[in-house]
Amino acid sequence: MILKKDISKKMMIFLGVLLAALVVLPHVSTLSTTALFSRIFIMAIYAMSYDILRGYMGFINLGHALFFGSGAYIVGILFNNIGNTVPMFILAIVITLVYSSIAAFIMGKIVFRSKGGGAASVVAGAMTTLALGEIVRHTAERWRDVTMGADGLSFRIPQMFSDRTMFYYYALVFLIVMTLILRQFINSPTGRVLMSIRENEQRAEFLGFDTEKYKLIGLQVAGIASGFSGVMFGVMNRFVNTELLTVQQTLNALLMTLVGGTGTLYGAIIGSGFVNIVQSQLLNFRSVHPIFERWLLFFGAMYVIVVIFMPKGFMGLYYSITDKRRAKIKNHAVKQTAGKS
Amino acid sequence: MDIFVTLAINGLAQGALLFLLASGLSIILGLMGVVNFTHGTLFIWGGYVYIWIFGLTGSFVLGLLGAMVVAFAMGVFFEKFFVSRVYGNVPAQILITLGLQVIFTELVRVIWGATPLSIGRPTFLAGAWDISGVVIVHYRIFLIAIGLVIAVGIHLLLNKTKIGMIVRAGVQRPDMVRALGININTYFTLVFAGGAALAGLAGALYAPLVGSMTSTAGMHNQVLAFIVVVVGGMGSFIGSAGGSVLLGLMGSGVAWFAPGLATIANVGLMAIVLAFKPSGLFGLAVKK
Amino acid sequence: MSSLLKVDNLESYIGLFTILHDVNLEINKGEAVALLGRNGAGKTTFLKTLMNLVDTRSGSIELNGKSLVGIPTHKIAKMGIGYVPEDYGVFDALTIEENLKVAMWKEDKETLERLDYVLELFPDLKIAYKRMAKTLSGGQRQMLSISRALVNKNQILLIDEPSKGLAPVVIEKLAHALKEISQNTTVLLVEQNFAMACAVADKFFIISEGRTVESGSIKDLMKDKELQHKHLGVV
Repeated sequence: MILKKDISKKMMIFLGVLLAALVVLPHVSTLSTTALFSRIFIMAIYAMSYDILRGYMGFINLGHALFFGSGAYIVGILFNNIGNTVPMFILAIVITLVYSSIAAFIMGKIVFRSKGGGAASVVAGAMTTLALGEIVRHTAERWRDVTMGADGLSFRIPQMFSDRTMFYYYALVFLIVMTLILRQFINSPTGRVLMSIRENEQRAEFLGFDTEKYKLIGLQVAGIASGFSGVMFGVMNRFVNTELLTVQQTLNALLMTLVGGTGTLYGAIIGSGFVNIVQSQLLNFRSVHPIFERWLLFFGAMYVIVVIFMPKGFMGLYYSITDKRRAKIKNHAVKQTAGKS
Repeated sequence: MDIFVTLAINGLAQGALLFLLASGLSIILGLMGVVNFTHGTLFIWGGYVYIWIFGLTGSFVLGLLGAMVVAFAMGVFFEKFFVSRVYGNVPAQILITLGLQVIFTELVRVIWGATPLSIGRPTFLAGAWDISGVVIVHYRIFLIAIGLVIAVGIHLLLNKTKIGMIVRAGVQRPDMVRALGININTYFTLVFAGGAALAGLAGALYAPLVGSMTSTAGMHNQVLAFIVVVVGGMGSFIGSAGGSVLLGLMGSGVAWFAPGLATIANVGLMAIVLAFKPSGLFGLAVKK
Repeated sequence: MSSLLKVDNLESYIGLFTILHDVNLEINKGEAVALLGRNGAGKTTFLKTLMNLVDTRSGSIELNGKSLVGIPTHKIAKMGIGYVPEDYGVFDALTIEENLKVAMWKEDKETLERLDYVLELFPDLKIAYKRMAKTLSGGQRQMLSISRALVNKNQILLIDEPSKGLAPVVIEKLAHALKEISQNTTVLLVEQNFAMACAVADKFFIISEGRTVESGSIKDLMKDKELQHKHLGVV
């Protein structure tokens, strides 16, 4: 018991130091590092939203990018067609909220029909969502008047977001707020029901829970969080294209959660940091050797390496180390008391 | 009336190509439970290898065989060293096969460049019949014939041979197949590589049909094949045949009457099938 | 008599749960042994552990002195173990003929003779030979599953609750067939149905909460009402 308290106290100190470091960071680093971290923060929300599905519901959504990309498009279209003002940004948030809940509802209604869990329904769900994501991507590509099709949409952003350092702080606050909200959701009664569905859907059903309803709520929360991170991502880049709606984009989220460790929520933040830093490093190396022009080769290799050598991600690594240490201390204590008697 | 004949032939030819991709995908999914994302890259490798060999030898048949051999070898490599490590873990499979897809698609760009390579049809298939105004392209008829031959071949293999029996048994109860003393892992490799070879063949046949090959063709065709698998029923061979024909015909019809709605039509069909018959139109509904 | 199957201090687990804690048993060649115990005692898990369908944590399993621990399932089967699972494990999409053919290691004269033998033993299967297995009744599935284990030259048959869910008439038929089978083959029969076990076996082991707690001759057990009541819940 004391041990546990001790660790969480250490954790608090660690988080405090980390926060202080992050607050100071933009003042001591280059602009590109600041931008990289803004990106990490925003992608972390996206990855966390994915972890709710993957880690807490055991649901593989291959169309998850449709929320993310749509959020970016919504803010872009509003800024472009009505005006790049703060009220429009708020409107974009509201529309994304509504849009994501409706899209998640429709997606869930189709996907959660086949009940019973098991590999077959996971696979069916994966393929259905893959195709649903393709519909949205296709629509965005065809609807040229508004989205500029494959060329992508550039837009101006409100004055208050245009300073990179300030935007860094917005992104940081956004990350902290969303993390707290999602954590609250995971620990809420609804979150607990979702976890019990993941463990054994049939049992949850026997206990009288309408599992489809809970899964729908989970998908909606994940969709909204993903949409919000898309809005921020759009504002950060001042540009949006159909790339953000591709399967590749969804798989980036899957990769980030896997690198960090699934079902841990915070793992997604670590995963986002790792993946984005590696990606930007690979891009930097392009000037060193032409092989790094082909950074996708290394990126693909990362997928494979992570799956084979780090199946539980960094958080899994962390837990196994702390578990071992805890076991060691416990053993030690047992031995000591045994020695005394 | 004439247009319907042309559309039907276009649709069936398209369906034949889809079938080559989807049948492998479906059996791999049914037997091993693997969502195989390498199929798209095997498809483009088939196409590029065909173009390369055809350019060297001028032989259509050697080109097709070469594409199949290379794709088969890649299939063995993928299954033995990567996919076999993650059986039973769907997300890991998706990531690992996707990683391989990204790597090998990028390798295509390294070897053959990112710009599309153009390729004509072999002279003996380049022509077309004109039957009272209805133009029938030889190459499309050839595709339909190949599709039929392969379909009959797979059907016989599955139903008349011991290998086929074991595969069908394994789709339902891999654990029991093992408990009867059969090393099912060998069959996993074989089926994976067989599916890969068919995907390679599909790519090799696709390149002359559209007149070029690009490294982006893989994902698009793979998604279509996945839709076929869902519509037809996972793990069902008949389903992948029926689903391919259905999607091919629908595709050519939609392309003529309402171009731009192609993807939506496909996905719409899938949504309807899932809503009313989640196990697919020809689903076995035995696998838990 | 030489011991055919010898299990010592076996511990096995599924996921986080240890199911078998300490199982010890020895079966000699030619014996018909019943493995008894209440629901959830670990009988089915024990058979699965033998086949390496469930992981062994510690202990030893030996068939003719050769260890089975950690060996792939298909190799264990080839060493001469015929496994008839609780849910029959029949391949629905295959015909009865194909179900039997899949099981055959080779199609030599001996195997075909054994095939004739099982078809005579279970005439139901002969009648429906070309039919899809999914059309079969529960009893017929059980017969098919047992036949599948018999077409090969196995040293021991593991049969998991053959009487489960079957009508009394069918059980009687099965018991008769199993008795005959046990004349020629070593049989390890997991049963809840005490009458069935008595009809087939001559030796018993009782598993309780993952441990073998009693063993002896089945005739003694038939007399010992107290032991029956304690572990089997039969009155």
